[in-house]
Order: sequence, then C-alpha cells, then structure tokens
Amino acid sequence: MRSERRPAVATEGLSKRYGRRLAVDGVSLEVPAGVVAGFIGPNGAGKTTTMAMLLGLVRPTAGSATVLGADIRDPASYLGRVGALIEAPAFWPGLTGVQNLRALAVLGGHDESRIPKALALAGLEARGSDRFGEYSFGMKQRLGIAAALLGDPALLVLDEPTNGLDPAGINEMRDFIRSVGDGERTVLVSSHILSELEQVCDWLIVIDRGSLVYQGPTQGFLGRAGTVIALAPEHLADLERVATLARAEGYEPRAEGDELIVQVGDEEPRSVALALNKAAIAEDIVLAELNVRRPSLESNYLAVVEERGR
Amino acid sequence: MIAALRSELVKLRRRRVLLVTAVTTLVFSIGSAWIVLATAQERGNPRGRGLTYAGLADPGGGTDVFTTAVSFAGTFLFVVFVGAVAIEFSRGTFRTMLLHQPRRLRLLAGKMAGLLGFAAVVLAGAEAVTWATARVIAPTMDIATDDWFSAAALRDAVADYGSVLFWVSGYALLGMTVAVLVRSVPLALGIGIAWAGPVEHIVQDAWSTANSIFPGLLLEAFVAGGTTDVSASRALLTVAAYVTVAVAIAATTFARRDVTA
Repeated sequence: MRSERRPAVATEGLSKRYGRRLAVDGVSLEVPAGVVAGFIGPNGAGKTTTMAMLLGLVRPTAGSATVLGADIRDPASYLGRVGALIEAPAFWPGLTGVQNLRALAVLGGHDESRIPKALALAGLEARGSDRFGEYSFGMKQRLGIAAALLGDPALLVLDEPTNGLDPAGINEMRDFIRSVGDGERTVLVSSHILSELEQVCDWLIVIDRGSLVYQGPTQGFLGRAGTVIALAPEHLADLERVATLARAEGYEPRAEGDELIVQVGDEEPRSVALALNKAAIAEDIVLAELNVRRPSLESNYLAVVEERGR
Repeated sequence: MIAALRSELVKLRRRRVLLVTAVTTLVFSIGSAWIVLATAQERGNPRGRGLTYAGLADPGGGTDVFTTAVSFAGTFLFVVFVGAVAIEFSRGTFRTMLLHQPRRLRLLAGKMAGLLGFAAVVLAGAEAVTWATARVIAPTMDIATDDWFSAAALRDAVADYGSVLFWVSGYALLGMTVAVLVRSVPLALGIGIAWAGPVEHIVQDAWSTANSIFPGLLLEAFVAGGTTDVSASRALLTVAAYVTVAVAIAATTFARRDVTA
C-alpha cells in the first residue's frame, strides 16, 4: 500500500559542488510517504547539504528533486507543508520563545493558535515566556522543533535534533519522533546517535562522501551483517579448545580479545548457542560468557563505512 | 511581503525596543535642538549646515532645526541599518525565516518595509519633539516663532519630513546592500562606518567633486536642501540612481545565493 503513495521526497542525481569540493554526488533517493526515515552518514558526508537543497536553502549544481510532489526549484509551493530544523537553531535572542514563534507564524501564515501546542509538543511550554537568549542549547533545540511544528507539517525534516540534549532529552526526542511519525506524517531525521535512529526509523538512507550507500527498510540494512555469538571460557587457556569445538560444529570462529566470535549465518542463533554450550560442557569447559549479538545499526553502519574506506 | 513586514513588527513592537527607542529619540531630539539653536548665527551666512536667526524665524524654522539635527546622524543611521540586516545573516535567522517564507525578495522587501515603517514613526516623533524643544528655546534667544504655527509652516514640516524620510531610506537601502553582500556584522559595520564616516569626508576635503558623486555626501546635500556643489534635486536624482542599482544588486544576490549559515 505504501508503494502506491507518492514519495514524500524523491531526488534524481542530486549534486552540489562548492568550488572544487563535491559535497553531494549524484544522490538518487526516495523517502516513501508516512515513514520515519533516518538519514545517516559520517560528518561531511553531505547530509545537511542534501537537506538544505530539499528545503530550498541551497541550489543544486545538478540533478532534480521533488518534495511532497513539488519541484524543489519552487520551494514556496511546498514549504508551507514542511517543518524543518536544520543546523543550529537560530532565533532572535531578545524575544521570548512565544514571541519568536509568533514572528515565524506571522511570516509563514501559520495559525498563531498553534503556538501553545507546538511548545507543548516540544516540551517547552513552561519556558515559553523566557527569552531565547537565556535558553540552554537543549531548550534552543526544542524551540527549533516547536518552530518546525507550527504549520502542522506533512513532512518534518530534522537535522541532528538530539544535538545538545541530555540523555533524558534524547529519550524524549525519540518518543517525540515516534509520536509525530504517525503514519500520516513523514519524518526525515539525521542523527549521529544511531541507536536512537534504530529505534524509531522504519526507513534508512545512508550516504558516505556525498554518495548514496543504502536506502530501504531499516531491517534490510540491519540484515546486511549477520548475528554473531560471543563465547568466553572461564579460563583463557581454554580459548583454543573452544575454537576447535566450534570448528567441529561447522563454524569458523575468530578470536577477539578473551572471547571467540562465531558468525551465525541463516541459522537460529539460540540453537547455535545451545549446541556450542553442550559441546563445551561435554569437554568440561565452563563458559563464562555466551551471548547472542544481533546486528545493530551502528555495527552495520561502521562495517559499511569501513568497507568503503578500504 | 505584508507577512514579512508584520513579522518584522512583531520583533520591533516589544516594550524594551520601544522604550530604548523612545528614550534615545527624546534625548537626541532635545539635545540636538538645543545644540543647533545654540550654534545658530545671529546674522550673515551660516557655516556648513548651520542656521541663522533670520532663517529660524521663517515658517519652516522649527522643522529646519529637525532636518539640520538629523543630518548629523547619517553615519549612525547607516550603521544601524547595516547592523539590523547583517545580524540576521550572522545569527542564522535569515535561514530560519526562509524556512517559513521561501519567497526571498518578499522576505527582504517586507523586512526593509518594517524597518523603514518603524523609522518613519520614530522620525515623526523626533520631528515633533525637536520642533517643540526649539519652540521653547527660540524665544529665549529673541527668535520669533509666530510663523511656526502658520499653514506654510505645516507645509514645510511635511516637506522636511518627506526629505528626511527619503534620506533615511537612502541610507537604509544602501546599508542593506552592504549587509547582503558581506553577511557579517563586524565586516559590514567596518565597511559602513569607514565609508560613511572618514572615507567620504576625507576625500571630500581633498576633492570637492566628491560632493556630487559619493552617495553619503549626496544624501547630506539633499537633506540640507542642496549645497554650493550640488543642488537638492540633482542630489535626489543621483541618490535615487545609486539606490536603484544597489537594491538590484542586493535583490539578485539575496535571491540567488545559497544560505549555508
């Protein structure tokens, strides 16, 4: 059903060159409508530049793109339905949070009665009457979120929204993204905290050095690196014996410090762990550690970046 | 453009801004009226932009005090407008605004209209306070003020207000252009202060033709009602040409440039 809907964002060969530096290199991506899409890549990979092009702030050097079905060469035709927080939150320091939002609501033709709701959604309702200049960085970030929500957007573009937030704030931001990405609204979010994205994103876009590395369902990316089982005998001297047992079971373990890592492949991880444990017990080897490590977004991502760096 | 103008007014219509502006305007208007009258000459030709007692007794004498006083604040006004626009780039607030109003020219035009509208109100207040202060001081210097209440005086007041508003608009739009081009508050202020202050006036001392070429000097000449080097109408036309070119450059640059900060 999702595939029948018009994508919220679609780019075709989108490129941006600053002098001799190619910041974005022919990226063709698609964000289906209604998903929470994570946009990941190392610093300088081109995430912010790509987002800036989608928001009409930066002109592409080549390629084309549509946002909510409208050409990005005419941002006025779609930005009214897009809420965005890009780079550091920038507001007028002498104005209160509410006054800042009022200035933007008037500017964008948004309903001013949405200001209290936007502040509440961003968790800033208690500090709306304080001046922006007195806010902590985390509160500034929240005001940026509130500003993005003013127009009740169909697409929310958030560039590193957890920057400057404390652990509790990061947790709230995760819940917030979950709540706003309700199936009707599309969210495109970049973050360095991949564990956060893993929990909230059902779609992933991975770019590296300006080029697209992966786009598709999060599970598809996570499945690229298999699950592993980590084993550690009680006595380090038994490490080689455990390795021999694993080989006898048909696996090719590798040593990492004082533990062995066994790649599971397509088998059910718990069955493999059980078999290895039984084999160790039969040889009077006590395992001090035996755990199944499922691939995380971070491990997959690091593997991809490492692979491309070779 | 109206939305951008209204948004600008949200920022300007704050108690603190209004209070600071009111106090500054009051102090400037009273102080400058006193200085202009104190330095007026009883007879003969006035020095520079100064006034004579005879001129002050004319119907437009009261508002001449205003135009003369304001004409010394050109560099200050230029710097204010340069700073007001450049700081939106430095803070990144133009980026924030463009996410809500992507029609860049409307945004810039609305912002300038808001600033100029605010300036127009401040100038009207300044003219009234300057006139009232002059009205109090002038009789103590044996300057007749009977004609200041005539219909001709009202016409002169409106004409003087229009001249000052044009003069301020010229500085505002030239300042906006500098700000849009350099996008940095320190750099924009440095250029603005250096150009409108020492550069034009040093060159003016060595080269009198500068009076009919440099925009800041032309604006001063216009608001002074013309000088020996350039008439008010010539100054008006030349400044209008400068401003047209400057606004075209600023608009083209602002509309096309990437917003990366």
